[in-house]
Amino acid sequence: MTKPAAKRTVDMQILADWVEPRSRVLDLGCGRGALLDSLVQSKDIFAIGVDLDSAKITACVRLGLTAYQGDMLEFMRAFPDGHFDRVICSRTLEEVADPAAVIAEALRVGRAVTVGFVNHGYWKNRLATLLHGRKPRNAVYTGEWFESRPSNPVSVADFEHFCATKRYRIIRHALLGGDWKSRCALAPNFFAGYALYDLAQ
Amino acid sequence: MNAAEASPAAVTAPASGDVGLVVPRDFVTTEPFTFESGQTLPGFTLRYETYGRLNAAGDNAVLICHALSGDHHCAGRHTAADRKPGWWDNLIGPGKAVDTDKFFVLCANVPGGCQGSSGPSSPDPATGRPHGIAFPFVTIRDMVRAQKRWLDSLGVNKLFALLGGSMGGMQALQFGIEYPGFCARLVLMAMTARESAQAIAFNEVGRQAIMQDPAWNGGNYQKDGGPRVGLAIARMMAHITYVSDASMDRKFGRKKKAGAAGDAYTFDGQFEVESYLKHQGESFINRFDANSYLYITRAIDHFDLAAAYGSLEAAFAHVEARSLVLGFTSDWLFPPSQSRAIALALLRAGKRASYAELDTDLGHDSFLLESPQLYDLVRGFLV
Repeated sequence: MTKPAAKRTVDMQILADWVEPRSRVLDLGCGRGALLDSLVQSKDIFAIGVDLDSAKITACVRLGLTAYQGDMLEFMRAFPDGHFDRVICSRTLEEVADPAAVIAEALRVGRAVTVGFVNHGYWKNRLATLLHGRKPRNAVYTGEWFESRPSNPVSVADFEHFCATKRYRIIRHALLGGDWKSRCALAPNFFAGYALYDLAQ
Repeated sequence: MNAAEASPAAVTAPASGDVGLVVPRDFVTTEPFTFESGQTLPGFTLRYETYGRLNAAGDNAVLICHALSGDHHCAGRHTAADRKPGWWDNLIGPGKAVDTDKFFVLCANVPGGCQGSSGPSSPDPATGRPHGIAFPFVTIRDMVRAQKRWLDSLGVNKLFALLGGSMGGMQALQFGIEYPGFCARLVLMAMTARESAQAIAFNEVGRQAIMQDPAWNGGNYQKDGGPRVGLAIARMMAHITYVSDASMDRKFGRKKKAGAAGDAYTFDGQFEVESYLKHQGESFINRFDANSYLYITRAIDHFDLAAAYGSLEAAFAHVEARSLVLGFTSDWLFPPSQSRAIALALLRAGKRASYAELDTDLGHDSFLLESPQLYDLVRGFLV
């Protein structure tokens, strides 16, 4: 089975295409800094990552990245409107307590907001739930429910409904198949494994 | 953990990871120095130590800035018989987080101090007697400007990094503001850009304890004399602010002194924490000057970057250094929120500043801890 880290090359490539060279980028839930590091290398961006976990901040510091340990909402509230060219939430929204507040605040401090998430509506997840009636277990959802962090799975249809309700403009999007590599053109809420959206107010 | 065992230099070093025996030196300048207050000295002395070697390019120097009660002796031992090494020996040495095999590490006693640098207890060349409170008022910026003169004299063209906790962090940050091109990296620990009313209040109680002691005598006293009771009380009180409720309770709890009558109705020391504080006070008066305590606490109280430059963002506008700001969860003297405020203002000013928060229960003094996480952060930042 493909590990998520190996699966991530294409979504990172798409993000790199969307990010303007030398722009000011904030990565919410930056983890160990893999995405920011690649964007710094390829796009020479001024990058800031935010994460709650101190071991992850240490890993970012070791890579020479700028990283801030703390709550992402509190962090964003410390910045004026439009301070960042782009705010990225890559596989972050599923784990935050108030996704709507995070996106609203990201759209305030960022001129563009990029959201990437695993499509929970992917057909294999539906099938697993239908057949077994249990939490899906695969390369993405690796743990048992009782040893996983709280998560708030989102599907392509959920996210587009959210954007329509909030009247957020979708500037562009990229939908990837179950391999997270090929483009998914048909019935994305069913066939897309991974989704990327670029939003503006 | 540290890589001292793997370090080739550890073979020749006196002990693994140790800088070994060190000799303090004096920088003496006869160029007049004007303090921020407008007062002047015809020259001054800074006592300092160095570890490691300055490379040919002159770009591997790391400046350590000390806190209120610290001094230039931050690593190694002065004699083989020394019971304790320098105050930051756990961080500085061959193979340690501040690796003396790679870096030329320097630390000077601040002006206004009492460990060999010019201060109220050093003799006024005009009279031969201690300056006392005729010594010019000292600010954090004065400390920084004086140290810059010393670093210039050593041929240090640029600092690879500056590290400091508490007042040491204030100096490091002020350095980055005052000499932007000179400072490449700042490591700012357990510090604040402006003291809270509570922190000023604690300093004032310490100063009052000193000045209300009749032996203070308006700052005129003989060396080794002076307000020993007042200074000891100031230290006892301040020490409480450097630790935490949890750490004191773990160390002492309600343990009674050996030989203390369990439930005697007396005011003699009964609890271990009482003898511990008494010991802290007594050992302090043997190494610290009461007037220096007044001067340095005043310098810390006056430190207010937002007031001095209009705003924190304005203060940081010309900073070129990358910063690593570290807060400690149990620090209630300069709480993490004050470290976060510095990191956020640096970021708003468009500077590169990382912030990490270490979960420790040892209070303000946590920056001196033997903490692998702290070592990892510092080592990772100094590349």
